[in-house]
Amino acid sequence: MTGALRLKYWLLIAPALAAMLVFYVFPLVQVLWLSVTEPYPGLQNYERLLERRALHRIWWTTLQICVMTTVITVALGYIVALAMTLVGEAQRTAMMFCVLLTLWLSVLVRAFAWMMLLRGEGVVNDGLITMGLIEEPLRLLYNRFAVIIGMVHFMLPLAVLPIYSNMTGIEGRLVSAARSLGASPWQSFRLVFLPLSKPGLIAASILVFVFSLGFFITPALLGGGKVVMISEYIRVSFEETLRWGEATMLSTVLLFSVLLSLGLVARVVDLRQVFGAR
Amino acid sequence: MSILKTAYEKDLYPEIADAGDSEFQRDCVEIAATKLARGEIDRRGFLGALTAIGALTVPGIGGTAKAAADELVIVNWGGPAVEAYQKAFGAPFTEASGIKVVVDGTGPLASKIRAMVESGAVTWDVCDTGAATTLVLQKADVIQPIDYSVVDKSKVVLDYAYEYGVANYLFSYILAYNKAKMDKVPTSWADFWDTASFPGMRTLRKQPNGMLEAAMFAAGKSADEIYPIDFDLVTEKFKEIRDDTIVWSSGSQSQELFRTGEVVMGNIWHTRANLLNQDMAGDVVWTWNEGIVTAGMWNVPKGNPAGTKAAMDFIASAQDPADQVKLFLIMGNGPANPAAAALVPEDRRFADPGQPDNWAKQIKQDARWYKASSGKGDLTNDAYARELYIDVMSG
Repeated sequence: MTGALRLKYWLLIAPALAAMLVFYVFPLVQVLWLSVTEPYPGLQNYERLLERRALHRIWWTTLQICVMTTVITVALGYIVALAMTLVGEAQRTAMMFCVLLTLWLSVLVRAFAWMMLLRGEGVVNDGLITMGLIEEPLRLLYNRFAVIIGMVHFMLPLAVLPIYSNMTGIEGRLVSAARSLGASPWQSFRLVFLPLSKPGLIAASILVFVFSLGFFITPALLGGGKVVMISEYIRVSFEETLRWGEATMLSTVLLFSVLLSLGLVARVVDLRQVFGAR
Repeated sequence: MSILKTAYEKDLYPEIADAGDSEFQRDCVEIAATKLARGEIDRRGFLGALTAIGALTVPGIGGTAKAAADELVIVNWGGPAVEAYQKAFGAPFTEASGIKVVVDGTGPLASKIRAMVESGAVTWDVCDTGAATTLVLQKADVIQPIDYSVVDKSKVVLDYAYEYGVANYLFSYILAYNKAKMDKVPTSWADFWDTASFPGMRTLRKQPNGMLEAAMFAAGKSADEIYPIDFDLVTEKFKEIRDDTIVWSSGSQSQELFRTGEVVMGNIWHTRANLLNQDMAGDVVWTWNEGIVTAGMWNVPKGNPAGTKAAMDFIASAQDPADQVKLFLIMGNGPANPAAAALVPEDRRFADPGQPDNWAKQIKQDARWYKASSGKGDLTNDAYARELYIDVMSG
């Protein structure tokens, strides 16, 4: 590529780059800066991370919920994606439409829908009571169970799409070859198909885990204040106690945890390949 | 300069189209102003963004104050309160002073007030906050002291006349319950905590404010032993009850939990209990016994556009007992002027926290305790309590 051509390409992306710098990178640096200067310069905000038991618990809760959400979502997503590769064209289109449909629904609408279903006098409990399966309504809402249901529901398309796109690239004849060489259906899946679909699984896990870390509305609504994740606590520090130093410290730690987890994964797999950049 | 102000004003009065520059530029400013107001960026970030898009070339943006106070912006929490404030406080003040009053319902979050003042882009004159928020904002050094040569201290109930805020109404955290769903009637916080005798889900507020006092009562403390709050004791009390509790974050949510039958009892605001009482044909009632009274307060941000005098004049005007009763009749907020108690119609007195009978049964929330140091690092009791409460309730 000649220098002049390269310059033209740079000019083409310059507006986008400038917008990113001004509206993304710059405020982000401000956040990092506040975390070491509010209320006075020093690392006292980061010290709190070690000292305060409440913060430990919130991080632990966040981590547990994110891991559980990721495992369940990716497992369910894998099944859906696998089914999509096996069914006929018309069914595949219908399934893809359903997956994308939930992606387009507002996160608030989805959370409220789950509340209508799960609450004490909600559809699920009413149904079970009418069928005589239970006498007292089950406590389905305002706990970790509800939060994970809501998050899995939100994340499912994010898992299905990368897994499915990976699976469509897997050579189907390899599985047939394994079968013709005497492998059972399970063996041909476990020894041939599953390893080939690993990049999709990893991409889906990263996407879901990273999205889960910053989740806010769903835990706030479905958790009923009993499931407090880190983003909720950041909101409290920003809006209610006005301790911006602490809020920006937590945001910074959250950001670096995401980068760190990506870095760890990158040691094992080629991220550019996983996300289809090459 | 004008763009900056316009960016906020567009939020306040969307019907006003300004004669600014290009559409895109305005849009950028609006985004930045929103972020600033939300506290996502600070003043320097905001200015940097404006300079970058060429919206700002004038150094020093602190001079938003108008020379003539021809308009006063009151900020409250929206919904029906916008019209109610206009009727009760806005119209009488405009009549007396000729200053137009605009009521903005976007909600004077402490973070928004701080962001506005620190960016020098203040568009609010008088903010409707609370006693605890007043102390937080005072500490952040972003509000003005109340001028008690204009505002009359004797027209405020008890000592809700703080240096940086003055009561505009009273409200209480009370024990509300759905009597249609209960065999017995709870009369104290000890009953509220007694899940064996009073089965069913309860609701507590998402913030510890008003809940700590109830927990102290439930632990057997008498009204004069509530403060200082014993953190270890209340932690134990909240642990006892958390599995039977849903928390509410907004007033409307507390109402919703009763309406949908999710809870049978709650520590909620008396205004919401009163609405529930009307909505549910008297099923939901409440007791003033061991209620926790606190005050809504007027705050004036530093550098407010209409100037200090107009803001103080408005606050003084809003002390009129008849106007406060007007607000009470529309919204349920108890008048803060003791002279108003006798003006409340007799059939509504049961819902007024400031009536002598109701008052005697309640304790006065001590905002100063909330502001005092907790002795845990640099945390105030308020900050420590919030941390502790989140920890206990989510444990």
